[in-house]
This record gives sequence, C-alpha cells and structure tokens, in this order.
Amino acid sequence: MIDPLDQKLLRDLGKMKGQVIAVSLVMACGLAMMIMTRSLILTLESTRSSYYQRHAMADVFATLKRAPLAVAEELATLPGVATVEPRVAVDVILDLPELTEPATGHIISLPDDGGPQKLNRLFLRSGRFPRPDERREVVLGEAFAIENGLQPGDSLVAVINGRRETLKICGIGLSPEFVFEARAGETLPNHKRFSVIWMNYRALAVAYNLDGAFNNVCIDLAPGAMPEPVIEAMDRILAPYGAGGAYTRKEQASAQRLDDELRVLHSLSFAYPLVFLSVAAFMVNAVLSRIVRLQREQIAQMKALGYSSRQVGVHYLKFVWVIGVLGTLMGGIAGRFLGAGLVDLYTMFFRFPTLDFRLDYSALGLALVISLGASVLGVLTVVWQAVKLPPAEAMRPEPPADFRPSVFERIGLTRFFSPTLRMALRNIERRPWQAVFTAAGLALATGLMVLPGAMSDSIDYLLTFQWNSQQRQDVSVFLAEPSSGRSFHDLEHLPGVIRAEPIRSVPARLRFGHRHRKLAVTGIAPGANLNRLLDAQGHAIALPEEGLVMSAKLAEIIGARIGDEVQVEVLEGRRPVLNIPIRGLVTDFAGVAAYMDISALRRLMKEGDTVNGAYLALDHLRWDDFMRELKDTPRVAVVMIKRDQLAAFRETTGKSIGIIRTLYFVLATIVAFGVVYNSARIALSERSRELATLRVVGFSLREVRRVLVGELAILVLVALPFGLLFGRGLALLIMASFSTETVRLPIVINHSTYSIAILVVLTASVLSFTLVSRMIAQLDMVSVLKARD
Amino acid sequence: MIIDPTAPPISTGVVFEAHGLRKVYHTGELDVVALDSVDLELNAGELVCLLGASGSGKSTLLNILGGLDVPTSGSLVYKGWPLDGAEENTLTQFRRNCVGFVFQFYNLIPSLTARENVALITGIARDPMTPEEALEMVGLSARMDHFPSQLSGGEQQRVAIARAIAKRPEVLLCDEPTGALDVTTGIVVLEAVERINRELGTLTVIITHNAVISEMADRVLHLSDGKIVKSTRNASRQSASGLKW
Repeated sequence: MIDPLDQKLLRDLGKMKGQVIAVSLVMACGLAMMIMTRSLILTLESTRSSYYQRHAMADVFATLKRAPLAVAEELATLPGVATVEPRVAVDVILDLPELTEPATGHIISLPDDGGPQKLNRLFLRSGRFPRPDERREVVLGEAFAIENGLQPGDSLVAVINGRRETLKICGIGLSPEFVFEARAGETLPNHKRFSVIWMNYRALAVAYNLDGAFNNVCIDLAPGAMPEPVIEAMDRILAPYGAGGAYTRKEQASAQRLDDELRVLHSLSFAYPLVFLSVAAFMVNAVLSRIVRLQREQIAQMKALGYSSRQVGVHYLKFVWVIGVLGTLMGGIAGRFLGAGLVDLYTMFFRFPTLDFRLDYSALGLALVISLGASVLGVLTVVWQAVKLPPAEAMRPEPPADFRPSVFERIGLTRFFSPTLRMALRNIERRPWQAVFTAAGLALATGLMVLPGAMSDSIDYLLTFQWNSQQRQDVSVFLAEPSSGRSFHDLEHLPGVIRAEPIRSVPARLRFGHRHRKLAVTGIAPGANLNRLLDAQGHAIALPEEGLVMSAKLAEIIGARIGDEVQVEVLEGRRPVLNIPIRGLVTDFAGVAAYMDISALRRLMKEGDTVNGAYLALDHLRWDDFMRELKDTPRVAVVMIKRDQLAAFRETTGKSIGIIRTLYFVLATIVAFGVVYNSARIALSERSRELATLRVVGFSLREVRRVLVGELAILVLVALPFGLLFGRGLALLIMASFSTETVRLPIVINHSTYSIAILVVLTASVLSFTLVSRMIAQLDMVSVLKARD
Repeated sequence: MIIDPTAPPISTGVVFEAHGLRKVYHTGELDVVALDSVDLELNAGELVCLLGASGSGKSTLLNILGGLDVPTSGSLVYKGWPLDGAEENTLTQFRRNCVGFVFQFYNLIPSLTARENVALITGIARDPMTPEEALEMVGLSARMDHFPSQLSGGEQQRVAIARAIAKRPEVLLCDEPTGALDVTTGIVVLEAVERINRELGTLTVIITHNAVISEMADRVLHLSDGKIVKSTRNASRQSASGLKW
C-alpha cells in the first residue's frame, strides 16, 4: 500500500499540476539544451578522434614550391618524425557543363602504387582508388559529388596547367584532412564550387613539372614528440625550396574549423542552460515556500501524530524531487531528439564517414545533479523553518503579518498612492527576498530572450558589413602562382569587367614580442574601392604609403597596437625580414589579414608589377561571357564568386543559426510563460484571503484583479530593464566566446530584439494574469474567509 | 438591475423579505440541504440574533442575506429589489453600498493600517463617512495608524467593524464576531456593534453560539436543520456592557 504521506504528496501535486508542469517545463528546457549541446560535443569529438586515428590524420603540414623527393627522406630522419608523406597539391579550375561559373578543384596526389596514403588516408564512400599508372582517374570529394550529382563513372573537365583534361571519376571519398571542405582562406564551405580531388602522383607531377619532386608534405610525429623542434628543423630544411613555413594540425584549416565549432558548442553548453536551471530553481523555491506556508497546520498535525521532523522534511523535499525527475525526463527526451536532429545540420559543414548521434549520459547525470541540487538548496531553509516549529504553535493561527510603511511612504510620497498600490509596495517590502527571487526569475527569463535575437542581428550586420560595405567586388580571381603584370592585364580585359584591382599576396610570418602568426600580407592599390578596408564604424581606412594595416583581431592576438613595429619575415622569394609599423586596424569578421600598399610591398620584394590575382567588378549583362572566358584563362586557379558565397552562407550557416535561434527562442518563450504564470499563481494563492475580503466588502472583480495584478506588474516592470541588461551581458559573453581567429561574430543587438523580449514577457504576463483573473472569479469568498490563516 | 444606494435610508420599514428560501449544496453524490423553506422579515433599526448549533444554517442564511451566496430557490427582496437570481455585478454593488460584514477572524489586510483598511471602503462607497469618523465610532481614534499586527484581537475586530460601517450600510452582518475573543474584549466589540445599531439605525444581524449575547437583541431567531424553528422577541434589550458569560 502506498504510504499515506506519499498519497498526500500525489494529491497535493495533482491539485497544483499547472505549476508542477510550468516548473518542470522550465527545468526541462534547460536540461534539454544542456544535454543536446553536451551530446553534440561528445558526438563530434568522439567521431573526430576515431576518424583522425583510423585515417592517420597528420600532425604537421607544409607547402613549398618544389623539392626533390630525396628531401622528404631527409625529413624522415629528423628526430620526432614518425612518418613523412610528400605529395603534389595544386588548385585547378573545374569546368562543369551545367555551371556557368568555374569551380575550383584542389588536387592532391595519391601514391602511385594504387594503395591508400600513409597519412590523411582516404575513406572511400563508393568506387575504388585509381588504378596504378592510370592518368585520368580521380577520386572526387563527397560533398561536391553530392552537390553536383556526380558518381563514379562520370567525368569532369579540369584545366590542369593550362590544358583542359577530362578526368574520370573512379571513386567518391573523403579525408580527415578535409572534414571541413573549403578553399584555403574561405571560412564557409561552398560545396557546389569547391572539391578536393585525389589522383595518381605521376599524372599530376608530370603535368606540373614536379616529377620526382613534391610541393606539399605532411608528417606524423612520433609518440610524445613535440611539434616545435620538428617545425623548426623542417623550416630550415625546406626554406631553400620555397616553403611557406610548416604548421601544426591546430592551424590546419579544416581541423581549426572543427575546433572552432566545438568551442562554440562548449560556450553554449554551460552558461545559457545554467540560466534556465537557475530560473527553475527560483520557481521551485517559490512554489515550495508557498506550500509549506499554506500547510503550516498540516505540518503541525503530522508532527502531533508522531512523524519526525526528518520524515516531514523529506516529505516536502519529495515535491522537489518529483518536479526534478519530471523535468529531467522531459529534458532528457527532448535533448536527445533535438540533438539527434541537429547532428544532421553538421553534415552541411563537416564530412565524416559516419556521424552518429551519441547521447552524453554523464551530461544527463550532471544536469540532474545541478538542477536538483540548486532546487533543494533553495528550499532547505523553508522546509527547515517549517519542521522546527513546535506543533502546538503551528496549529494556532498565524498572527497577522508584520508590516510597516514602505520606504516610499517614509520618504513622503504617500499621498500619490492608492491603498491598493500601498498594499502592493508593502507586500513587496515585507518579503523582499521573495520579491527579489520572483523579479530575478522574471529578469532571467527576459534575458534569455535576448540571445536568439542578438544572434540574428549580428549575422544580419555581418552580412551587410562584409558583403555590402567591405567586399564590393563580384569576383575574386587568384592565380596558380605569382605572375607578371600581363596576367592582371588579361584579367582586366576579360569581357564584362568594369573595374579591376590587383592583388599581390605574400606569405609571411608576423612577429611581435614572443607572439607570431603566419599569414599572407596582401598588397592592394591605394584607394582600392572593391575590397575595402573598414574600421569598426564602417568607415573606409586610407592605406598609408608605408606601413601595415591589419585586422584588429590580429593585433589583439600578437598584442600589438597602432604605432608598434612588427617584424615581417617574408616566406617567399628573397625572404626579406623587415620591421614595419602598424598604421591602422581594420574590422573584419573572418580570418585575420594584414595589408600594405601594393607598391610598397613590391618594393619590399624588389619586384616589378607582380600580381597574385584581382578583384573584379562585372557588368552583370555580360556575366556568362566573362565566366566562359575565365574558364579558359591560363594560370587562373581559384575563383570566388561573391553571390555564390552569400548563397552558400545562407544555405549553411544562415540556416543552421536560424534553426538554433528558433529553438532557443521557443525554449526562452516557454520559460517566460512558465515564470510569469507561476508567480501569478503563487500571488493568487497567497493573497486569496485578502482578495476575498475585498470582494466581500464590495470591490468588483475588476478592482480585485487590479490589486493582484498591481503587485505582479510592479515586479515585471522592475524585472524588465534588469532582464534586458542581463540578457545583453549574457549574449555578449556567449557570443564573445564564439569569437575565434577564423570566424568572429560582430556583437550587434538591435532595438527590435529588446522590444521582442519585452513583448514576449508582457504577452506572457497578460495571458497569465488573464488565467489567474479567471481563478479570482472562482474564489469561494465565504470559505476563504471562514478559514483561519 | 442596479440597487440604488442613493435611495434615502429608511429608518423604519422592511429591509429584507424572504419567502421559501432554500439552499442546497451538492457535495459529491450527496445533496446537503443547508436552508429549507425559510420565511423571514427583517426591519430597519432592528438588532437580530441568529442562534443555533453548527450546521443549523445560520451562516448560509447570513451569506445569502449579504449577497455572498445565492439561494437555490425561494425569493429574497431587499427594500423592494429582488436579490435571488441577481447578477454578479448587482451583488457587488449591493455589498459595496448596502451591507457591512464582520467575521470571526477579522480579515483585515495586514499590509494596510487601521485607517487604510477603512479607507479601502471609503474610497469606493457612494456616501461613506471618513475613516476617522468610522474609527472614532468604535473607539479607535488613538490607534488609526497602527498595522493589524500592532493591534490586539479586539482592536482588530473593531477595525473590522469600522470598515464594515464606514459606508453607512443599511445592514450590518456579523458572523460570530466575538468567537475568537475573550469575554472582556468581546464585550467591548459588542458595545461597538450596539452603538452602530443605535446611532445609525442599521439593521444588525449577529450570528452566535452564545445564548447570552442574544439578550442584547430585539429578536432572536433559532435555527435548526436549516429551518427557523422559533422566533422570540426580547421584552427589553440588555445593554452589551451588562452581558456576562
């Protein structure tokens, strides 16, 4: 037979089911979010680590111009090096008949024996490796193949070293090196326009005059070996061969993007759900305090019958326990399904052989401990006070609550206040902590509404800033290698080009103090109007004749300021090393960059009118002509089309942020409703006697409602500004922790976001007040008045 | 229907007229008859006591008279206005302007001072006295700015009376007004009720268990099983101060 106290528990809970549901829903929202993000982290991390391990992801990478294979053997003898894989890697233009615009292929050589590589081994999704000595067979990257509907047996045209070659697809594959498949320097994937391609070494090396040589190498470190000495030795050995400096897996584009994503998830997995759980803890506290107060006499009865304080205490803690278990169940189930759903989103960005959702059970346990712990801590004092009261005392009616004039009256504002307003203010002042808790719950709920809005505000700003203000070119074209001014001239005179601005880009290592970064120093023309340099306010920065202008983020990373001289070690050509002052900082949101006046850069390189590419503005009527010609322009390796990038952004990041935003918004809305409804219910039950008295003495329903709503309205109005401030702080904190070297989110919160937060909370308030007002109408005046307090 | 509170108070004549009043509560599967065929006439200026055991129907009758409840059947007329089947708004207006209530457990608003508790009513009634006048009538001029927690039980009950009469009601309904008080304090409270009845000519109905209290009434109605079983008229009213129990 069920214990009578438990029977009572179930019936009591049944009577307050509205509130039980509200509180456990809020708790469930927090838990769902926590479990979802923690599980996504577990899924991505465990998938990544097993993929990297099984497919031998390299530890160190380097690119160079050309070195004989014997040099690779020399690298293999370096202490700390376990495996060396020399390769040929080139960018080529791909010409797909259905695409007007050219796509880019990044071709990587495969060992000639027809077997898999030693490092960064391919995972074959379908088909097979190219046969040994087969010149035209390739394995195509999966994302591109899916996006363009290509399968083994199909073929595609690539412009390899100026010659159009028809390549035959023999397999579809993916590699741990390209979990994030994007062109170097591109922060977002565009799977329709970029593919990694693998083909036999000989075929590729011969085409690029690299037979018996390599221009790209990856290395696996021996267990326990440190990367720094290896990198130093590699740089020394490879410098004469035009190496641009070796780098570790941490700096490798794909690995870095994956790290960034995990960092974002980490930053979402804690602070934000914790706020939900805090709200739930506040709500539990409020609900339980009320039950204990109302059941003062029952507690006395139980003790008079011989129940111990501990038994009674445990009985009340079981309320919390039931709510917690209910919340955890709902949160666990919701988190599992949301997480499994969101895993599919990641396949838009990251390619793994398989990406199977894994529920993080430890997060489930942790979440339960946190939420129950916070709730129990919140109610311990309430329960303790209830059980320590001697039964006889508890059975006597509670003396009238002690009140005094509110602080407003004491400072002399009384005459402006109606009795009902005075009631509200004195009530708030008499139980300040309860008021603070209620207002805090409301404020937190309001704050939660800000983040989702801030995310889309920031993305909108980013799009406008980056695509309208900063990048005004239609197309950026990069050449396979630095070329003479004639190449620029060729690009400038392609059909439909309205304006062309040259790009000279030089790999370099920037050093300031002990910090350094490897990146490309980009030379652009002073007064360049296509790819503009903008400051934080969006104003164009004039490029100085001498000196560097760099990303504000880069300056932050190396700890330099305007006026400081940074050491620039050029990793190309004569490899000059110079000290150059920083003359300006630009605001940008993807990657980091450093710019110089193109003439100054060329002087530094002691060269003529060398270019690496150009920014082009096009006459849109001649778009197709331009693209057709571009596909056949020699030396063009990479073509970035702005409107494609924007579309790809909208399809991927935009879409996924949209989904997450909507999810967060829904959860935050549930919390807002739950908190307001709960507060209103509590206020109603605590004040039912007063309200009934007012009804008896002749107050109309509407007047009585005003009394109840007055106090809640004060709390809501007080909570709103704090909530917005808190929401802003929370959004700033979380979004700042998103900010990485590769992608930064400008932190922008529009007025509309605040307005929506206010609107949701006010709507929740109005609806809750309406629900509770209906209950006022049903108050049984007589029985409320006849009952003792 | 609106009850017109501006109608001049009539110090003589019938205030309540009830015929065949019946009230049935449905509790679960049982129908409880709380009031059964009650016929009644209450006149202005009268002080009437309702005597009876628990469950005899006194409170039900008082609640119906005061517009807190409606009869299941039968008619109830207040100064020519039918109250049976009246709308909620009518009953609110009736309570606001015509009836004052006093309960066993004072039911003051703890967050308001004595004066403010009374001012709650004077703020909404049509022709109220000032809170000070009302408190003066119950002898609490000196404690007007005290909160309920700073007042004794008797004082709290007197504030409740002041709150009930501040609207100059036609009817004062008291449900066990001394039930929670000791003898001395109880008598002080009854004196206040008596004074109101005498000076304002308010029809006053007091529910009590205590037969002694009925000595201060003009008429005593004995209730049992929801019926008025006996109606007695005191030859002379005992003054409240002379009561002993």
